[in-house]
This record gives sequence, C-alpha cells and structure tokens, in this order.
Amino acid sequence: MIYRIYSLFVGILLLFSTSIYSLEVIEILGGKASEIPIAIVPFEGLNNTGGQKAHQIISSDLNRTGLFRPLNTSGISNPPSSDININYTKWSAIDAQFIVVGRVESENSFSGNIKITWSLIDIFKEKTVVTMRYIGKKSQYRAIAHKVSDNVYEHLTGSKGVFHTKIAYVKKVNNKKYSLNVADFDGYNSRPILNTTQPIISPRWSPDGEKIAYVSFEKKKPVIYIQNLKTGKRTLLANFKGNNSAPAWSPDSRKLAIVLTYNQNSQIYTINADGTGIKQLMRSNAINTEPSWAPNGEDIYFSSNRGGNPQIYKININDDEISRVTYEGKYNLSPSISYDGKLLIFLTNDQGKFKVAIQNLISNQVLKISEGPADESPIFAPNGHLVLFTYKDYGKTTKIGTVSINGLKRLPINVGSSIIQEPTWGPITN
Amino acid sequence: MEELQLKKSLLLLSLVATLGAGCSSTPLDAPADPSASNSNYYGVDAATAEALGLEELRGNQLLSQRSVFFDFNKYDIKPEFQDLIGAHAQYLNNHEAARMIIKGNADYRGSHEYNLSLGQKRSVAVKDALNALGVDDAQIETISYGEEYANQECQADACGQDRRADITYEVE
Repeated sequence: MIYRIYSLFVGILLLFSTSIYSLEVIEILGGKASEIPIAIVPFEGLNNTGGQKAHQIISSDLNRTGLFRPLNTSGISNPPSSDININYTKWSAIDAQFIVVGRVESENSFSGNIKITWSLIDIFKEKTVVTMRYIGKKSQYRAIAHKVSDNVYEHLTGSKGVFHTKIAYVKKVNNKKYSLNVADFDGYNSRPILNTTQPIISPRWSPDGEKIAYVSFEKKKPVIYIQNLKTGKRTLLANFKGNNSAPAWSPDSRKLAIVLTYNQNSQIYTINADGTGIKQLMRSNAINTEPSWAPNGEDIYFSSNRGGNPQIYKININDDEISRVTYEGKYNLSPSISYDGKLLIFLTNDQGKFKVAIQNLISNQVLKISEGPADESPIFAPNGHLVLFTYKDYGKTTKIGTVSINGLKRLPINVGSSIIQEPTWGPITN
Repeated sequence: MEELQLKKSLLLLSLVATLGAGCSSTPLDAPADPSASNSNYYGVDAATAEALGLEELRGNQLLSQRSVFFDFNKYDIKPEFQDLIGAHAQYLNNHEAARMIIKGNADYRGSHEYNLSLGQKRSVAVKDALNALGVDDAQIETISYGEEYANQECQADACGQDRRADITYEVE
C-alpha cells in the first residue's frame, strides 16, 4: 500500500498495522487519567542538521497533549532502530508502555530525498502496533516527524493528531507594527500574511482551511476582511457604519456570524462569505458578541451581559431560541466549541484572575485549566484535545501557548520576543 | 566643466538667499493675523468655521473637555460628566452642521472582542445622553477602539485612564 501525496510527501508506505487503540477523551476530562509512558528512541542514521532531531520533535509533540509522558532514553545502551529483537524486559524496567523506534536514510543517491522508517511497539503486549515509511524532501524533516506523531497519537488515542496543522496569530511590535502570521502548530516556519500599522484582532481560520477572516483597524475603525491563503488576495466582508467585528465561520465555510453596531450596541448577524445575505440574529439592549458556530451548524454560542455580567449563551438559528450555557463564575467570555460539539472552552474571571475554563456540555462539569492572571483568547485545536491561548509572560509581554484539555500540560509556543496575541488554529488537512 | 559647477553653486546661492528673505519677512513665531487669511486652525474656510462655531469649540472651557470616564465593566455615565455632556449637547444643537464621532475605549482586562463591545456601549451611553438633551442622531457617529490603544501593562487604578469615551469632531 503506497500513498503518493506530492504536496507534502513524496511517498508514504504502510508496512504493518494492527487495530487502533482508543482512549475516551470525555472520560479523562478532570485530569484524573495517568499519562501513557512512552519512549521515543533516537532515530538511527541521518539527522536534521542543526535543528531538533526526529525523536525530540515527536517527544515534544506528544508531551504537549497531557496524555503521554515521554521517557528519558539517554541511559539505554544499544538503542534499537527497528522492531526486530526488542528487549521487552529492558523497556518494562523503565516503565515504558510503548516505544517508537526508527531510522533515517537517503532514499537513493540521486533524489536527495530522505526516507524515515519507524515502528510503534507495545511493550506490555510484546508486539508491533504499526510500521510505516515516509519519503520526503530533506526540507520536510520536521513535517515528517510531526506525521509520525500524528500516527502514534491516532493509534493510541483513536483521535487524529494535530501535529501537522497550522496556527495563525497577531504579532505586535512597539504598538506600531502589526502582522498576521501563519506558522506550524508548534511555532516553526512562521511567515506574515499581512503587515499593517493598525491593530488586527479576531483572526478565524475557515474550516475548509482556505481562508482567514480577521478584523483590521486600517480604516480607523474595525472592519472585517477575508484573506485567501493560496492567492494572498483579500476581500472586505463587512464595512458597515460603526464597528464590524468578531467573525465566526459556519462549519461548511459558506457563512459567517459577525458583530455589527451601526449606531447602537453590538449585535450578532449572519452573512454569506461573499458579503451577501446579511441577517440580524437577535436584538437586545445588552452586549451580544463573540459568536462561535457549533459544528451542528444550528447553534451559535456567544457572550452577552444580558443577565448583568457577561456569560456564555447559545442561540438556535432555526427557532431563535436562546439559552444560557455557563453558570459557574460571575464573568465568562470568549466561547470556543470543540469540533465534536461536546466541549466548550471560555475565559473566566476567577477573583480577578482571567483563566481558561473547560465545560463538558453533556455533564456541564467545569474545570479551570490555566492559572492566569491575564490569560485570553482560548481556541480549540481541530481535534478538541488541546487549547491555544495567550498569557502574560512575567506579567508583561503577551505570549501564546497550549494547554491540554485535562489541564496537565501548559507549554509555551516560541515565536520570538514580540507581543503575540489573538491566535487561531487551522483545520486538520491531509 | 568648471563653468557648469559655478552655475550650480550660483543657483544654490540664490536659492539660499530667497529662503533667507522668506524667513526674515515672516518670523515663525509671529501670531497669525485672522483678518489677513481665510484659513484657520482646522483648514476650513471662514463660512464653514462660522457654521461650525469653531471659535466656540476651541475656546469654551467645557467644550475642550473631551473624555468621559467609566468604572470597570460599566457604561453608566457618572454625574460629574453631566456638565461636559450638556455643553456638547448645546453646541451640537446650535450648530446643525457639526458632526461628532464618539470613540469608546476599554482597559486591557478581558477579551479584545468583549472590550470592543464594552467601548461601544460607552460611546452609545454618551450618545444617548446627548440624544436626551435633544441632539439629532444624524449628528453623531459611535465607534469603539476597545482595548486596542489601551495601556497593556496598567495596574489597578491606572487602568481607569483607558475606560473612557472620547468626543471628537469630524472637522478636527
């Protein structure tokens, strides 16, 4: 079975696979689950010159999720590079439940491509879970390592990994220069897609992966643009009187929920992605903003102070029925819904400290997963297992990081020393 | 070749002389003579300045106050700003051609979008107060900057500076 995907990899070869393991993520919400101990053995052969090595990239990826505990393998003598002659007793002794082994070679002497052959091995069951080979350009070394992480993740959790996805965020330099940047999910390979002298907020990646909608203050007031990532071209989606802000894509990427004011307070509207068919969703004297479209296409979550302080509500766009969603805490903002519709994350003011909270929408159990004091902009990873958010480093400079939904791992994403804010996360693509 | 260079330097000399003469005839710190020119502070003609009552706008002590401040997460107008709002209402009522833009702001705490809405609520609160004093809606535009131009490192009371609505006039 050979896959050839030229956009990213020259080839993928699946050599061996057993059935997929499965972890019920809803059950582990609450941080009670123990992390799976896994050893990523240094890959034999060619190494990424100068940069991180494959086993380091994979360890770092899995560590972020809060579901794995990568083990230190430096004390292991004669580490294996394939699933042949594995000393299971030795790996059991360091409590490894799974190990990943591999080797990096030249594909052949002409192409300049590399091939990475790797195996995921179950130490308890003493058998190989999967063996695969990736072939790609040398420049795709990190991308191939992320692809290994994705496969390990999917085999052991039953859910797709997000290690091969992209994020976007706003970089602010000296209050004078703003740029919208796209990068790998871990901050590598960043590039600006927009440079301006005025603020940019609320970028939102379309679920089909093709566009980013955002709010710009270039026209001396907030207006909404949609930028095509392939062509770089952008169109003005909304430039009505007053403010135009808070774009939120529908699951089919055809519509957006937006917030307009005209000469009054913020109200939520829906509009087609081509700027036609504007429709007011609700009318109230309170603030209604931060729409987030649920994956069922019918519910739009939003924040509103209709009850006094801001709380999260949802409106069904078919019957216009509005119901309150958050009850814990006096000040809840910035809803984001997981791609399966089962989890809600939001920003909560916990006695003056702004933290990220997660709510199971079935049981309504709430867990605070960040510590504050000035966290903001929580947004779900496309598999709903990680949250991207901003925090103030040493109380000063705003930075981005991820937190696992069980709250166990909060780790920074390093994209330089500038102020980094308002992140968004792109979809899983092949 | 030499001749050309000489011509160039002569040209430069005459240019310097002209500039020098210009400077000596109108010193930079001389007060402008309002009767001698139809331009003014805002670069509009005399008729427009008259219609907009620019002298009053510039000279009136209350009208020169432009910021209304609010409490955290609040948008109700405090009594101490009634005089300021009353003066601007009177000005707008007396000058139908005047156009006001109210720009709401919020401190950095909370989300960018919610703060944009909060800033808007503040600018609308000022507009509503003006409306109550008889000002026509068509004379006022309300927008918000949210926390985008706020001090991102303020502590406690200092953040109050960012919780405000700023009154501006189109002509400015």
